[in-house]
Amino acid sequence: MRGFGGFLGKELMEIARTWRAWVLPGLVLFLAVSSPVLARLTPQLLESAMQGQQGIEITIPEPTYLDAYAQWIKNLQQVVIFVLLLTGGGMIAGERSSGTAVLVLTKPVSRAAFVVAKFVSGAALLSVTIAIGTALCWAGTLAVFGEAPPERLLLSTVTWLGVALLLHAAMTLLSARLRSLAAGGAGIGVFFGLSVLSLWGPAVRYSPAGLLPAMAALLAGEEVALAWPSVTTAIAVAALLAAAIAAFKRAEI
Amino acid sequence: MKPPAIEIRGLRKRYGDALALDGVDLAVSEGSVFGFLGPNGAGKTTTLRILTGLARADAGDARILGEPVGSAAVRRMVGFLPDVPGFYAWMTAPEYLRFIGGLFGLAGRDLDSRAHMLLEMAGLAGVKTRIGGYSRGMKQRLGVAQALMNAPRLLMLDEPTSALDPLGRKEVLEMIAALGGRTTVFFSTHILADAERVCDTVAILAHGRVVAQASMAELKTRHGAYGLALAVEGDSHPFVQELRQAPWVSSLRTVEGNEMRLTVTDLGVARRAVPEMVARYGLGLRTFETTELGLEEVFVELVGGGR
Repeated sequence: MRGFGGFLGKELMEIARTWRAWVLPGLVLFLAVSSPVLARLTPQLLESAMQGQQGIEITIPEPTYLDAYAQWIKNLQQVVIFVLLLTGGGMIAGERSSGTAVLVLTKPVSRAAFVVAKFVSGAALLSVTIAIGTALCWAGTLAVFGEAPPERLLLSTVTWLGVALLLHAAMTLLSARLRSLAAGGAGIGVFFGLSVLSLWGPAVRYSPAGLLPAMAALLAGEEVALAWPSVTTAIAVAALLAAAIAAFKRAEI
Repeated sequence: MKPPAIEIRGLRKRYGDALALDGVDLAVSEGSVFGFLGPNGAGKTTTLRILTGLARADAGDARILGEPVGSAAVRRMVGFLPDVPGFYAWMTAPEYLRFIGGLFGLAGRDLDSRAHMLLEMAGLAGVKTRIGGYSRGMKQRLGVAQALMNAPRLLMLDEPTSALDPLGRKEVLEMIAALGGRTTVFFSTHILADAERVCDTVAILAHGRVVAQASMAELKTRHGAYGLALAVEGDSHPFVQELRQAPWVSSLRTVEGNEMRLTVTDLGVARRAVPEMVARYGLGLRTFETTELGLEEVFVELVGGGR
């Protein structure tokens, strides 16, 4: 992997110096802080919305720290995943269309190093952001609800991170093969495919699709068999990355 | 015996139905400043993309300094500037050169001094703005600087002057000329005047084939000709017919209405004969001037058409 270190350094500097430092981290940190607050205020918001509407009576249970965790995971699944998919489309395709890849790939930088550095830098940004976001969510939950046992939050978030890394690897492959917009669209298709698979029992037990329903189950304190989904997710990430390298090696720049 | 800086044999490349390269043969001696000439769409960029490993040939063989193109060994010895260089807009020029130097394994003082020297050469020392705010000329000069970061044995430049204003073009040509004798320079262009100014050897590519390769002096001797821009008033049809038959006219192209471009082998004869013919056909002479011989006229000469 010639040139991996140098190119990874550029990627990390780019994260620190461009919009990439703000979009994903900004969104995640906002969601981390707002999730406990929103969970606490949801009953009052609903009550005030219902005021004046005669004949309707809704009883809302008192929210707990688990509602804050559930809000956080729901936000990760419904918002952050889509930001990942849409921004990931330009990961490699953007460098090709802007011409920056030409100057790099005519230097002693292998195409494998180019692809792996893209994956690693994106995965690092995602992991660090989620780690900080999770810590903030936990602290916020503790402050708002007075209790916040961290185990369920950690297990559920790590499970989400597994799905996110799988989709990041898929975006690496798609961005190596397609234009930015097409890659983003195809990524959304992959996510919907995974979501559909998560409705099918055998896929839930033996494939990465099992990670999707596992998040809610873990939050609820249920026992979840994660061995197969975890192992197959790791294998899928490696396979997608290998496919991305192979596709990029074949590509004409 | 030292291998040629570039050696290409029977290179073919097709994009769908379009044949971009149709058996290109080329040899570039080490130490030369080599002009790779051809009109837009002739296959120059495709050839350079294959030489840099960015694209693959369908057939044929291409070697750089004796090594197969695209290998790591070749990339260490080569500098490359594409026709439209893409830089990271958020970087400054010193940061970019340090990044490129780092990819070649340069570090510490060597890296800093090399980057500083090249920034001075490119006239970008002290420029604090990010590359995204650079003019086209500044980007092109930075492009040449980054291509020299590894002190390459072979520098390949794709149309380095085509989109520049006269001042920017002059600056880039001066940079190329200054490299002569120190490194092999292989640059593509469709501007013959640029090649005449800095090249010692040229090859002309047309329709995916090399139609001529010679030293600049040899090319001028072999295809010695002058350009004439002519515009007349009146019915020029019989005048043009006679002009086409004149032995000293090697090509004639009607530009618009009664305006035409000629290449002539004997300028003195043309200067006497053309006004005489204009008067004989009762035409008015609006323009009669010698022009810089364009690449197109040389092409017409080389491919034997146009009369």
